[in-house]
Amino acid sequence: MAAAKGDIELAGVYKRFGDVVAVDGVNLKIPDAAYCCILGPSGCGKTTILRMIAGHEDPTGGEILIGGDNVTGLPPVERRTAMMFQSYALFPHLTVRDNVAFALRVRGLSKPDRYQAADAMLEKVRLTELADRLPGHLSGGQQQRVALARAAITEPRVLLLDEPLSALDEQLRIQMRTELRRMQRELGITFIHVTHTQLEAIALADLVVVMEHGRIKQAGAAREVYAEPRDRYVADFLGGQNVLSGTVQTVNGASLIVSAPQAKDIVVPLAGRSRVASGDQIDVAVRRDDIHLRRASVTVDQDWNALSARIRAIEYQGFFVKVMLDSLGENELVAYVPERQFFEDAFEVGDVVLATWSAERSRLLV
Amino acid sequence: MSTAPVALSRSAMRARRRIAEGVEPKRPWTFWVLATLFAGYVLALYGPMLCIYVLSLQDIRGGLVFPMKGLSLHWFIDLFTQVRTGDVKGGFERSIVLAVLVTVLTVVGSFLAGLAFRQRFKGDGVVFYLMIGSLVAPGLVLGIGIGLLFQYLGIEATWYTSALGAHLSWTLPFGVLVMFAVMSRFDRAWEEAARDLGATRWQIIWMVVVPILAPGLVAVALFGFTLSYDEFSRSLQTSGSLNTLPLEIWSMTLNVTSPSLYALGTVTTIASFLIIGVCLGAIALIQKRRASRVAD
Amino acid sequence: MAARTLAQRKQITAWLYASPLVIVLLPFFVAPILVVIIASFLENDGFGGMVRHFTLANYAAIFGAELTWRLYLSTIKFAVLTWAATLVIGFWVAYFLVFHVRNQLLAIGLFLLCTVPFWTSNIIRMISWIPLLGKNGLVNSVLLSSGAIHQPLEFLLFSDFAVIVAYVHQLTIFMIVPIFNAMARIDKRTVEAARDAGASRFDVMRFIIVPLSKNGIALGSIFVLSIVMGDFFVVKVMSGGGSASIVSALFEDIAVLQYPPAAASAVVLLAIVVIMIALILRTVDVRKEIAR
Repeated sequence: MAAAKGDIELAGVYKRFGDVVAVDGVNLKIPDAAYCCILGPSGCGKTTILRMIAGHEDPTGGEILIGGDNVTGLPPVERRTAMMFQSYALFPHLTVRDNVAFALRVRGLSKPDRYQAADAMLEKVRLTELADRLPGHLSGGQQQRVALARAAITEPRVLLLDEPLSALDEQLRIQMRTELRRMQRELGITFIHVTHTQLEAIALADLVVVMEHGRIKQAGAAREVYAEPRDRYVADFLGGQNVLSGTVQTVNGASLIVSAPQAKDIVVPLAGRSRVASGDQIDVAVRRDDIHLRRASVTVDQDWNALSARIRAIEYQGFFVKVMLDSLGENELVAYVPERQFFEDAFEVGDVVLATWSAERSRLLV
Repeated sequence: MSTAPVALSRSAMRARRRIAEGVEPKRPWTFWVLATLFAGYVLALYGPMLCIYVLSLQDIRGGLVFPMKGLSLHWFIDLFTQVRTGDVKGGFERSIVLAVLVTVLTVVGSFLAGLAFRQRFKGDGVVFYLMIGSLVAPGLVLGIGIGLLFQYLGIEATWYTSALGAHLSWTLPFGVLVMFAVMSRFDRAWEEAARDLGATRWQIIWMVVVPILAPGLVAVALFGFTLSYDEFSRSLQTSGSLNTLPLEIWSMTLNVTSPSLYALGTVTTIASFLIIGVCLGAIALIQKRRASRVAD
Repeated sequence: MAARTLAQRKQITAWLYASPLVIVLLPFFVAPILVVIIASFLENDGFGGMVRHFTLANYAAIFGAELTWRLYLSTIKFAVLTWAATLVIGFWVAYFLVFHVRNQLLAIGLFLLCTVPFWTSNIIRMISWIPLLGKNGLVNSVLLSSGAIHQPLEFLLFSDFAVIVAYVHQLTIFMIVPIFNAMARIDKRTVEAARDAGASRFDVMRFIIVPLSKNGIALGSIFVLSIVMGDFFVVKVMSGGGSASIVSALFEDIAVLQYPPAAASAVVLLAIVVIMIALILRTVDVRKEIAR
């Protein structure tokens, strides 16, 4: 089967710098024309992987294939990839137009030809009026669009972005997100976007890859990674979930009863995982917006789990109110309460409440 | 919420009054002290030069010291026309050519060495210390060594071989040190971006590195030219039978001395002011043009 | 795939780039020094030649002569005094240009103003001290006519004072440039933060400016010390022949073709200068100025 042009495959990719292992045996397949976000904290190896795909670093072991071709060891220009740097790295001595036309100048195109192509690209990113400016006189968002145009003009099959939105302020970041998505659809090529901001990743990506210490913890669609994290690390990093650790007390058919230090008798559906036995240590995840807060005096339904907790802090977030509760030891329990519901009977900091959730909303983590 | 009244210092009260009146903030007293020091330094620097300028305007009766005798351009004419016991014109030509050669070679050599030192390579410590050694070694000692070496090898010492090498052993380390300072401010990301876009190594150097480092290269050129043009101790034993200008002047001072030397000093000063004026003017012009381009 | 790894290729490129420098240093620094070292161990035939015979006589003569110690003491004295003066003046001039001059073009202009005198030959400037500092010179005339003194000041010229003045005049610029460069790199925001925390201007100087300029001061010191230690004509001319320096004594030996003793003297001087420089380099990490 002929591989599509811009699909990427990493096979056993391994990278060490001296004594430090930055990338520890990564296997990944990214389909052509997908928007892939590699997500993880600083030092997890995501930028190293990006640079290895780009050709700015060589892997210590393993292979990298783009469009079915083994590109390991090839210089960047021969891979037909282009990279957008975190600092944008716009040439300070060249105008915007010259920056964008640089790749063509390097290939020997005449001035009129390359200026024509550059102007067309500037149209696409809507920067035509700024063509004669120097990078030093541009705003952060404008610089980013120039960097994008400069990379895209080479008609790469893969565009690599190293934390492109980190240098921008909040509002601009959200604005540029849609720009990036639009560009990707328009160009129809694979984008690989490295970031440490989870909300950004799930907003943009077709494929989210979560990394820790040089290894992939989970890779999948945004919804899958956010709503169904496979383990504690992914759940914690993506946010949106509470994770309880506990011991299995009994297994009865379709569900388990788990006992955790903070709560007794938590009911968790098994969901087809039969290899759990009584006495095992497991993690249970509950979505933050699945937790309903009730006054301590209220009685709770049979098939609902309940946990007693004290409110530590309350943050108003517009459409929902974030309530942080003391109860899980080192991890706090967080509930997202819809705004209107919260203000019908508002809690205050210091109140002792019951955190409840429907038993079938608990999820077993690996 | 009440605030207790704060006791204001006199300087704070003065500052408040100034703000209320809309007057520009004054400079601290240290500025005036330092400005005076700086002015004093420049005055002291130009002190001997002033004597040179004034005394070069004497007439034919003039000597090397005050009191001044007459007022004329005699010695300037003498400088350019007289065939004397010294060969000022020849020395001047040789010094200029040598300085230009040294400048070009220094800029290229320092630039490349600066690029090399950006990473650790085997033996980089040795090269670095050799360079420092060449910088601090007494010029005369090196000159003697080079002279002896050429003598032993049977090669004739001339101003364009041994003196050239001697000058380079002095200007290259300087240039490399300047390059170190300049390159530490250079962002590697620019090079990587250029490489990513398909530029070959030479294209990267020519289209990205050199233009961005241009001010540093100009500084190296300036250093190289000045150091070579005025070089004396290393040239003494290495320039062979034909003298460079400093050597020529040296032999002139030992034999016959006249205010034509002062005329020479005045002429060089005028020339340097002209050159600096032109350069600064060019920079100001470029900056103005850039600003106007941005404005449209 | 590439036969050599990226890292190996980078090493080779680095060597290629460093080669012009090395190609100049080998024949014009390493070789001459070796020649001089070898010559210092050869026997002097008294007529300008050298006998190929290993001897330590030259060194014995140097270390035995009282003249040697006097010369070294004198030269080191000049070196230290010059260094102190150039440091004080150079530091404050650089500080003024970096922290008090607001317009960058003006700072460059002022800086260039300081370099113009150096385009006039050193030797011409040396002669011009006479009309400036001499008995009938400009300084004395001004002081006499203003009534500040009644007799012309004799010590201004042909004295140790004159030597130091000439050195400082010539070498302060070598201090200014590296210190200026080091200071220009200080992030002004650290100064602001310190003032914010209540530091006085003296505190800022002591805790921020001076430590961060250490590299520049060290580099400038290396230049100044090595040039003074290696000088041979400023001392002679400005002291009126009263003082000599190590190298001027060396020069006299050369003039009468006594190469081996001169070579031995040169080697000893070189060793001392190298030790001085090594001590200075220990106080700062000069390589920090280079690659990351």
